[in-house]
Amino acid sequence: MTGELYDLIIIGAGPAGMTAAVYCLRKGLRTLILSKDIGGQANWTTLVENYMGFLEISGPELMQRFEEQLKKEKATVVIDEAVNLEAQAGVFAVTGKTTGAHRARAVIVASGKRPKKLGVKGEEEFKGKGVSYCSTCDAPLFREAVVAVAGGGNSGVQAVLDLLANEARQIYLISDEELTADQVLAEKIIDHPKVRLYQHSLVSEIHSEQMIAAVSVQSRKTGLVERLPVEGIFVEIGLEPNSDFLQALRKNDLGEVVIDCECRTSLPGVFAAGDVTNIPEKQIIVACGEGAKAAIKAWAYLTQK
Amino acid sequence: MAEVTVYTTSTCPWCTRLKDFLRAEGISFHEVDVGKDPAAAKRMVELTGQRSVPVTTIGEQIIIGYDPDGIKELLG
Repeated sequence: MTGELYDLIIIGAGPAGMTAAVYCLRKGLRTLILSKDIGGQANWTTLVENYMGFLEISGPELMQRFEEQLKKEKATVVIDEAVNLEAQAGVFAVTGKTTGAHRARAVIVASGKRPKKLGVKGEEEFKGKGVSYCSTCDAPLFREAVVAVAGGGNSGVQAVLDLLANEARQIYLISDEELTADQVLAEKIIDHPKVRLYQHSLVSEIHSEQMIAAVSVQSRKTGLVERLPVEGIFVEIGLEPNSDFLQALRKNDLGEVVIDCECRTSLPGVFAAGDVTNIPEKQIIVACGEGAKAAIKAWAYLTQK
Repeated sequence: MAEVTVYTTSTCPWCTRLKDFLRAEGISFHEVDVGKDPAAAKRMVELTGQRSVPVTTIGEQIIIGYDPDGIKELLG
């Protein structure tokens, strides 16, 4: 365990965590930020057009601006993944995977979300070898290829559009129910000659040799399985919270940390903000607001304690 | 120092962060945009077994994804 006792540890350095950090540092709190990366999910966003002050800006560029602001406040940042949080003798210990335990008098959890996995045979083994979770990154590598996309929400349809823009030969879009994407997006692909829809269907297996060779798709209505030869699959079936390590906190059925309107969790002294929480609006601008709120409430907790 | 090559696509956020990291560390590198060059994409897949970016090669060594610690370790 490291010696220094901080006023506050912020877990996560996405929009919520970085905003909370700037507020805490400006209030003079000795603050440690423990995060596996800088920017979090906002790094995956190609274009942001609804963050006030910028007509349009890429997610990574916006996060670089946040990071500059963090550096201006001389933040202490440890790049490491939090794997445990527990109360110990009146203080909190947050354990990093490689850096061990760090101690503070209060904690703000802002650990965000991560892409959900299909959980089928072949997925882990061929991650990066045809299985991708980032169409923005990898769609250009599938020019002239036959590709599957799992997920009928906005992210899934956006992956199809990314692949079409990069001249994929054929795309199978597999959705476990009806498409749930916004109509304005769905209309762009529904009748597209290169797109074939499999609704009410699940990917049941990814077949491969050295690289991906095919996916099996099972109809939820008939149970029939069809094997589709593909060179890759983009998995866009939603997100899940990075909350596995938060055993000490109350969570909802989705695994999100339950907070009240003052960003308080079920454990006094531990606050939470952003997409890891049960706040339904998963937006960068909302996460920033929640991060600021959590910081102000944590400061009040520490000064009134 | 071994030659550093970074395989990227122009729309990949992690590629941008990786290049920023290399520049900040003063590590000179050669960039190959496999999104614009299908032949280079094919070479990258054959060389690394990866169909995902970023991929960094340092001499004969291959580093998958955004891994600043791995790059530092290999470059000593």
